[in-house]
Amino acid sequence: MSGSIAPLVGFLAAAVRIGTPLLWAAAGEVLAERAGVINLSVEGSMLAGCLGAAIGAHASGNPWVGMAAGLVAGAIIALGFAAVAIWARTDQIIAGTALTMASVGVTGLIYRQATSGQVTGLSVITLEPLAIPGLHSIPLLGPVLFAQPLPTYLVGGAVLFIWFVLYRTTLGLRLRAAGEAAGAARAHGVRVRLIQTGAVVVGGALAGFGGATLVLAQVGTFAERMTAGRGFIAIAIVVLGRWHPAGIALAALLFGAATALQYVFQAMALAVPYQFFLMLPYLLALAALTGVAGRVRAPAGLGRTVD
Amino acid sequence: MSRIRHLIVAGATFFAAACGRAPEVTKGMRVALITPGSVADAAWNAGAYAGLTMIKDSLGLAVSHQEARTPGAQEEALRAYAAQGYDLVFGHGFEFQQPAERVSAEYPKVVFIITSGERVKGNVAPLIFRLEEGTFLAGIVAGGMSKSGKIGFVGGIELPPIRNGYQGWVNGARSMNGKIETRITYLNSFDDAAAGREAALAMIRLGVDMLHHNADEAGKGVFQAAKESPGVFVFGANADQSALAPDRVLGSAVIDLPRAFLAVAREVKAGRFSPKVESFGLEGGVIRYQPNPAFGGSIPAAIKARLITAQDSIVAGTLRPLGAR
Repeated sequence: MSGSIAPLVGFLAAAVRIGTPLLWAAAGEVLAERAGVINLSVEGSMLAGCLGAAIGAHASGNPWVGMAAGLVAGAIIALGFAAVAIWARTDQIIAGTALTMASVGVTGLIYRQATSGQVTGLSVITLEPLAIPGLHSIPLLGPVLFAQPLPTYLVGGAVLFIWFVLYRTTLGLRLRAAGEAAGAARAHGVRVRLIQTGAVVVGGALAGFGGATLVLAQVGTFAERMTAGRGFIAIAIVVLGRWHPAGIALAALLFGAATALQYVFQAMALAVPYQFFLMLPYLLALAALTGVAGRVRAPAGLGRTVD
Repeated sequence: MSRIRHLIVAGATFFAAACGRAPEVTKGMRVALITPGSVADAAWNAGAYAGLTMIKDSLGLAVSHQEARTPGAQEEALRAYAAQGYDLVFGHGFEFQQPAERVSAEYPKVVFIITSGERVKGNVAPLIFRLEEGTFLAGIVAGGMSKSGKIGFVGGIELPPIRNGYQGWVNGARSMNGKIETRITYLNSFDDAAAGREAALAMIRLGVDMLHHNADEAGKGVFQAAKESPGVFVFGANADQSALAPDRVLGSAVIDLPRAFLAVAREVKAGRFSPKVESFGLEGGVIRYQPNPAFGGSIPAAIKARLITAQDSIVAGTLRPLGAR
């Protein structure tokens, strides 16, 4: 690696790192929203995934047990949301917000009970970056894309798989039909609420996996409220990516890049108030959203309660 | 089995809290603490909670704790404790100063202690911690040990006590190396540990090899960044944080919050309290620089000697960690 591109590689690798948990959550949310459900409990699922991952990995000593526990924890929150929003027909926005707030409280409570004030908390072994032989020596792209922890590669596979299911299978067609015209779909024999439940729970599991990535591929420990709004950013990413798997992958990378850029700018000690850099990712998202406005069309049944 | 029992206890506690039982009326003095964040942060808020526990255990007083994160919730919490007749209420942070002054106007008998507060008004009195005296000493070690000549600091939110801690650390490092380069990043969060890690990694990529933080829970990410980066060391803040990365933490700038809290509670209990600015520094041991014993052998004698003379000069008042004022 030549010295001149090293800073660029470092920055782009950070963009991919920051984008990875966001993309996991956004991939989950795209499933739910294409099925017509706007799921604000995705933030709660991520946070539950963080704690599940930390406890699972700490208790077993194996980070992959932690990843699995994060997945399950995320799915449990989503199951709660599905029960309230889809089956008890509560307003989706309110149900999602409530589940997220409950998740903040419950994860904090369990964490404090589990650690009872020890300084080190739940520290876990993190997943090391895994260089892919051959590919990682491609100039620039290699160290950026192919020297990342395994969950980063897996999220690429997950996005491809979601694309395949949505556009190339009958199940995907039914799911999209549930999100566009629930009544018509039901008339054709689609079990709308069952499909929505499946999409929400699988989506929550993916968000939980994203939270687990945050703990096990990045921070190495749990901190209360550590998702810090990433679930909500994932929802913005779904809009920015126009409810398409390829679009959300790009949008997650863009958001990761903007965030990574603000850390670089702050660390460079430029003579600009740091508050400006803190705004950067959000400004960029806003600009990108306005740029695609007009061409954006949400699933027609998004947010509507199905009887 | 014990884990299941833990969960049941946790669940029961949760519901008891959720049902909002009326506070039991007790005679004798009652003490309350309001923290702006989680008491599981191993730093600023955890120290305050330890102080409250010590007040309960060694003075035998009834205590209560609440977490309140937003200005509105903080004022409500202060008011609720005052209305319930608590005698002493700790608002744990600079941000409680103004709400406490407003509440104090309605409840003049309640003593409000604002940690890192700014002034006395009625029965509102600040506890001032001159953390910069501790971070100055940490800065001496950082400036003396840095190979790259670049040091970095990750702050949660730009509050005056955090700015002072940073300034002390920079001045300490400059006293060892006049050409030291310093970096600072604010996260705008005390929770986002992944952001703390990325901010630290961005500095490390620019050549920083000594890190310090004051970001509570988000600071945990700074320790992780140091653990992953060969040759990079980190200094803890507010509590002895050596255990977070035993082979990467050179030392911590510590506030002994329990000791300060206990001192105030004792005065109030004995009826000797009068509202004044209580200021704590290196002189009484409430602020100190706590080296990580694991590095005892690898810190050069010249730096250790400089630590001792600097500490003496700060206590004597001849050295000002924030520079001439």
